[in-house]
Parts: sequence; structure tokens; C-alpha cells
Amino acid sequence: MRFIKKTHYNQDIQLFKHQGQLFWYGALGVALLLSPLVLSDFYLGELSLVFIYAIAGIGLMLLTGYTGLVSLGHAAFLAIGAYTHAYLLAQGWPFPVSILCATLLSSLVGAIIGIPALRMTGIYLAVATLAFAIIVEQVLSHWVSVTGGFRGMAVELPSIGSFSLDDSVTFYFLCLFILTGCLFLALNLLRTSTGRAMTAIRDSEISAQSMGIHLAYTKTLAFGISAGFTGLAGSLLAHKIGYLAPDSFTLLISIQLLLMVVVGGLGSLHGVIYGALFIGLLPQGLALLRDTLPPALAQIPGLEPGIFGLILVLVLIYEPQGIYGRWLKIRSYFEEFPLYRKATHKRQRSYLRTERLK
Amino acid sequence: MSLLAANNLSLSFGGVHAVEDVSFSVNKGEVFSIIGPNGAGKTTLFNLISRIYDASTGSIRFNEQDISQVPTHRIAELGIARTFQNTELFEQETVLRNLLIGQHVHRRTNLLQEFLFLPSVRQQELRFRKDVEDVIDLLDLQHYRHQVIANLPYGVRKMVEVARALCLKPRLLLLDEPSSGLNPEETEDLSFQIEDINEELGTTIIMVEHDMNLVSRTSTRVMALADGKLIAVGSPVEIQQHPEVLKAYLGE
Ligand SMILES: Nc1ncnc2c1ncn2[C@@H]1O[C@H](COP(=O)(O)OP(=O)(O)O)[C@@H](O)[C@H]1O
Ligand SMILES: [Mg+2]
Repeated sequence: MRFIKKTHYNQDIQLFKHQGQLFWYGALGVALLLSPLVLSDFYLGELSLVFIYAIAGIGLMLLTGYTGLVSLGHAAFLAIGAYTHAYLLAQGWPFPVSILCATLLSSLVGAIIGIPALRMTGIYLAVATLAFAIIVEQVLSHWVSVTGGFRGMAVELPSIGSFSLDDSVTFYFLCLFILTGCLFLALNLLRTSTGRAMTAIRDSEISAQSMGIHLAYTKTLAFGISAGFTGLAGSLLAHKIGYLAPDSFTLLISIQLLLMVVVGGLGSLHGVIYGALFIGLLPQGLALLRDTLPPALAQIPGLEPGIFGLILVLVLIYEPQGIYGRWLKIRSYFEEFPLYRKATHKRQRSYLRTERLK
Repeated sequence: MSLLAANNLSLSFGGVHAVEDVSFSVNKGEVFSIIGPNGAGKTTLFNLISRIYDASTGSIRFNEQDISQVPTHRIAELGIARTFQNTELFEQETVLRNLLIGQHVHRRTNLLQEFLFLPSVRQQELRFRKDVEDVIDLLDLQHYRHQVIANLPYGVRKMVEVARALCLKPRLLLLDEPSSGLNPEETEDLSFQIEDINEELGTTIIMVEHDMNLVSRTSTRVMALADGKLIAVGSPVEIQQHPEVLKAYLGE
């Protein structure tokens, strides 16, 4: 076990709490910077996709994992980011300006969607966001002059001035850079007042209000910020897939995003990364699985969404804290070895509210 | 001088008159206790003061200002903090973060500054932390600082909630049955802590409480309610001997 001597409150505020963390994150950073030397273009592409998922996941995690508002419509923000970016690029806007505008527009739409959603929680909110995503999908298919309708639209190659960002190594670094920036922003948010206000709302609205937190404002803000991150991911995704069509942003994508934050571990940014790896690599795994299955089974339509759904349900039942929660348990097992006791992570049934009522 | 004054407050739920035509005023620096049988309307009265419910009639003045129409989240800024009868903590957060949330009304930074964690934000965080530590020292919560609320025993949760309310640096503190669920030692500590809060911090306290021992030891005045109506206001001794109060508790 590690005991840290604290001599200043700053130590509880730092992003890296101790030398060990700094070392391991540094090592991870170096590995990611060097990986283009060893990985093939295909795997770099897959990693870029994982980064993009992670950026979108940060957005959804802030909303669902930290503010406690479930969204089943986040594919819509991905779509808004992607289409806006592609459209502005086609109009000749420079790449950085276009990606910024796409992010801001998505964020604005998110905030507007947040307003009617203020009075809803849980399943009602999930259904409302789902409805919103369906509306966006309809708009994408029918607003032909901008989106190209069902035919879709091609996305211009990314470049800043004459410097092309298109080859897989540069694009990989672009995604890595933006992901790092997003993580930095999200971590900062979570260690300051606004982030704490969001978690307060998740845990108890009534007491958040009594602490002076404006529910409507904070929830709208959470929606806006969340949609911004996801929209930003969308504009990167546009380049990754190269050609936008309404069916790139279906309900299945929304579910995948939700799956990502739940499987990764709600209420942790580590969880976003684990979740993104999981979602990014799962299709590869499923493809391998398909090859080994007898054809009769492998050809079942809807196999993929079925397996996604199954995993979601299993995680919710057996490991509600997701991959990250599981990892924490494994780690504390080794740290405390041989003193680990089986019930360490069992929640004590501390008390039931009704038992203490009178 | 009166800090809080309620005039002819009433609220009914359907046919139940939870609070009926109640008027009282609380002076600056007082510890004002509210007693009464279960269902007397004590918690409802707190919910009216903290603007969780709208009164059907009557008005509340705090610090010379009519707060009957003020939105709920502004109450904290005005300087009124409260605890809840069955504790309403931020369960998945640590004690430290719960208390930092209590500092929310004191924040002076905007979203952009927070996203970038500018030096002004760091300064503010350090200031918050120092104030939180003062409250932790006052209520002896040092051992629990980094523990998640969901893992804490009930008595500690009760104290964390008081601590969180104190982090607002309120002028008026509303405590809803602070001793319920505490063991005798904890209740003993509580009575000293209430005195400390009142004397050292100069906070005016309104407390709903069943433990008459605690009430007599700490309170300046006591108000008795029954069935939503005010029965009597007076010193702890007067109230304990008041025939109407005894009748309300013991029945006819
Ligand atoms: N939200 C509510 N809806 C309906 N009835 C309520 C509500 N809150 C309180 N009451 C009723 O109002 C009366 C007073 O309740 P309360 O203020 O909680 O009493 P006390 O705190 O004095 O025990 C009770 O009869 C209770 O059933
Ligand atoms: Mg009560």
C-alpha cells in the first residue's frame, strides 16, 4: 500500500496526486507518442477511432456519469458536429475555425435540448433524448441542400493551410492531441465549483438547491458542455469515415455511447478510456467470433446490437462500477495482499432511510 | 432584533393543514427550538422557510427582506442553511467534496476560468479548502475527510450534514432533528457543538428537536407546535410546564 504524506492542500488539487501516477501516465504518454513507429496504418486508424469515441464519451460521461442525466440521443450531437464541420469545410472555411464552430453549434443545440429536459429524469429523459435523436436523423435525411439527404455528403480532407492532416500518422496525432486537451478541460471542470455542482445534482437535487445551486442553469450547462464534447468528436469522426450519411448516426450509435460509459465505469474519466477501448475493439472481436461460429449462428441478423445489449445488461447486474471499478478491486487485491478480505468492496448495508424515520 | 419573522404562515396538502396560521420571530443570536409531536408540521415549516414549498398564505421576512417569492437556490446566498431530517448528503462523494459543495455560494470564478484552472481558480480552491478545514476542526470530522458518504455510520453523516451547512457561513442555520439516530455520547457532543456554532461563529439557530434535555441545555426560547398550529412560545422551562403543551403530547 502507498501512504502519501501531505503537507499542502495543493496536493489534493493536483491532477497527479503522487510521483507514481506521474510516472505511469508519463509512460503511457510516451508509448502513445512512439506507437506510430511500430503500429501499422490499420491499427493507428483503430486507435484514432478509440480516441474519437473517448472524446464523445467524455461528453456523455459528464452528463450521465457526473450529472446523473441519462441520454439516449447522443448520436445526434455526433451528427451535428460531423455535418456542421463537413458543411463549413465545403464552404471553404479553414479547418480550425470550422471544427470550433461545429463544437459550439452542437453545444448550443445541447443547451437548448436541455431546457425542456429540465423537468425530466431517468427513463423519461432517456425517451425524450431518444426522440430528439430521431428528429435529427429525419432532418439529416430531408434537408437535402445542406446534408445531401439520403445520398449523403463527402467530407473534405483535413488540412491546416497547405499542411495535410490526412495521412494516418498525422490524423492519429491530431486525435490524440484533442483527446488530451479534452481530458484536461474535463478534469479541471470536475475539480472546481461547476463540476461539484453537477455531481451534487446527481446525488440529491433537493440538497443541491439548498446549497445554492441553480438546478435549471446547471443542468442546461451540463447538457451544453456534454453536447460540445460529443460534437467535437463528431467533427473528427467525419474525417475518419470520410462520407456522411444519415445512417451513420442511428440509435445504435447512441446505445454504443451509453454502453461505453456504463461498461467503462460511471462517474470516472478512466472509465471513459476503458469504455472507448472496449467499444473500439469490440467489433474486431465480434468479427473474429463470427468466423469461428457455425454459419447458421453467425448469419443471424442483429447479432452485433444483440451482443451489445447483452453486455450492457450483464455489466449492470454484475459490475455496476464497470471496467474501472473492477480494475480498482484487482489493484487493491494486490496492494493489500495477503491481507485482502473478500468483503472489502461489499457495500455495508449502512441503514435504510425508513428505519430511522422517527 | 429579529432576524427571521414568519407572519400567518399556512400550507395544506390536500385536506391536511400541515401548517396553519403560524407567526413567530427569531432574534439574532438566538437558539430557537421547535418542538411538537410527529406530524405537527415542524419539517413543513422548515421547508417553507427554505423555500422548498410555497406558502398558501402568509409571508416570511429574513433580515428585513421579504423572502416569500425568492427562488429556492437564492436562499443559500441570502445566508440561510439547513440540514434534513433524514440526511440528504451527496452519497457518492467524499466528505471533503460534500463540504466543498457547501462553499458553492462563495464562488467568484466563471466557467471559462474553471475549464482552464487559472491561478484565480487555484487560489479560490485553496481558500475553500482552508474554510472547510476550519469547519472540520470545529466538528471533529478529521478522520472522515476522504471517506465516501455511503460508507459512513449514521451519526457521522448527521454531523457531516451540519458541517456542510456551516460551509455556507450562514447567518441562520436550520437543524431538523439533529439528534435523531445519535447515541447518548454523540448527543452530548452535539449539544456542545451547537453552543460552539452559536457562540463562536455567531450563527442564529432554529432547531427542530425531540430530545428535551438537549433543548433545555441549548435553547434561548422554545416554540411548541401541534397539528400545524402554534401552541406556545417561551423559555424551555415555561414550555415544559405549559398545560397546552403537555396536553398535546399526552393527549386529553
Ligand atoms: N409533501 C407532503 N405531501 C403531503 N403531505 C405532507 C407532505 N409533507 C408533510 N405532509 C403532512 O403534513 C403534516 C406535517 O408533516 P411534517 O411537517 O413532516 O411533520 P413533523 O416534521 O412535525 O413531524 C403531516 O400530516 C404530513 O403527513
Ligand atoms: Mg419532521
